[in-house]
Amino acid sequence: MTKLFDLQLVFSSIPELLKYLPTTLFLTVIAAIIGLLLGLVIAVIRMKNIPVLSQLAVAFVSVMRGTPIIVQLYISYFGIPILLQYINYYRGTEYNINAIPGIVFAMVALGLNQSAFDSETIRAALQSVDKGQIEAAKSLGMSNGQVLRRIILPEAITVALPSLGNSLIALIKGTSLAFTCSVVEITAAGKILAGRNYRFFESYCSLAIIYWVLTFALEKVVAAIEKRLQVPEQPRQVKERDAILSKM
Amino acid sequence: MSLVEIRGLSKKYGDNVVLDKVDLDIEQGEVVAIIGPSGTGKSTLLRCLNLLEKPEEGTVKFDGVSFDLTKRNKKDTLALRQYTEMVFQQFNLFRQKTALENVMEGLRVVKKCSKSEAEKIALDELEKVGMSDRLYHYPRHLSGGQQQRVAIARALAMNPTLLLMDEPTSALDPELVSEVLVTIRKAAEDGNTILLVTHEMSFVKSVANKIVFLENGKIVEYGTPRDIFENPSSERLKEFLAHINMLEGAEYVI
Repeated sequence: MTKLFDLQLVFSSIPELLKYLPTTLFLTVIAAIIGLLLGLVIAVIRMKNIPVLSQLAVAFVSVMRGTPIIVQLYISYFGIPILLQYINYYRGTEYNINAIPGIVFAMVALGLNQSAFDSETIRAALQSVDKGQIEAAKSLGMSNGQVLRRIILPEAITVALPSLGNSLIALIKGTSLAFTCSVVEITAAGKILAGRNYRFFESYCSLAIIYWVLTFALEKVVAAIEKRLQVPEQPRQVKERDAILSKM
Repeated sequence: MSLVEIRGLSKKYGDNVVLDKVDLDIEQGEVVAIIGPSGTGKSTLLRCLNLLEKPEEGTVKFDGVSFDLTKRNKKDTLALRQYTEMVFQQFNLFRQKTALENVMEGLRVVKKCSKSEAEKIALDELEKVGMSDRLYHYPRHLSGGQQQRVAIARALAMNPTLLLMDEPTSALDPELVSEVLVTIRKAAEDGNTILLVTHEMSFVKSVANKIVFLENGKIVEYGTPRDIFENPSSERLKEFLAHINMLEGAEYVI
């Protein structure tokens, strides 16, 4: 009987899979950035209750949260080319649909999906900053942009960080579905490699290890940032040198 | 010409008239206290002056520069806010910043001072309020009284034409009130022009140059502490002072 489970292969195929890790990471980073920026825009639109845009934002978030990510990836993969064909037809342009790499569709779908979830987190975090600090900042003469950048965001980030870290972890794992847009990231690579020797189980085990190590590292990074941003438990005392400085 | 001239200030919430055509002049270096029953628009009057509330009518002149308080474009609003600073009942320090950073914030962001310049001014102001031993404390490490002293330093660092104080001791534990009052008195003695809303009557009596008795959005009486506390002319003021037990030689004591 041949070996049912080849433990050695689980580890020996990891280096081969890691060659595709940059694709996974690139996809994650771009989708996370799209998600954060668009999420912030949606959050602000909903907080300011801007007519029309606010209703559109609510509908968008509802649809994005109410449909599976794999369906969204398919819609992006097939929908964007159709949209471009329409544009080509009506505007007389000549965009080459086949020239668009699959990863773009995956970035769009994952980024939009991410923005829907992030927008709720960001909105809750922004609203948690108490009005008093905002009034104080305005009284000092800060513009709305300065108040947002200097006062609201620094505090809102500490509130939002744990949830955003969660959603980033979900996103990393979500990129494993990008093969639906013909993107070869590590999961797709695992399947392809396993196709050579039919050792699918071993390949999936290797993938599980890689994803787990990746998210474990990410958890640590998020925790470290959280600790850094937190107001320290104990205040730093004024040293003598500072006291002299203050007398100058 | 007075340093600050408020004319025809009116504010309504729906049908409820909070301020009804208030006129008030404040001279350079004066401490003007606003007293009156709760809900009569004392805080609203202050908050209209830096447009945290939007009045329906009114103009204000700072140092000869006139502002229409009903104009709400961003540029005018920011320009107006350069003339005043506010000390709040709830201190409203920036929680993510240390005492020193709190005081430096306005200097750096609004006045565009260099870091060393801002630091120098901030250290100076914190020294004046007796907080130079707690420069790196965050608001959560400070007591209410200490927070309010930092907030006063933050306001004074901006060198405002008029300092607005909105019940600065109302949120404090009784034993912390005096340290803040001492700080305010010092700010007054340093020549700052202050418009103050407070319920600390004995403090008002000793520090204020002028007192405004506000009721139902109108200035019912205006005068020196002596006029107000010893010779109240209106029945309403007499009643109010009797109520808070401040009428000198009252015929009855509650």
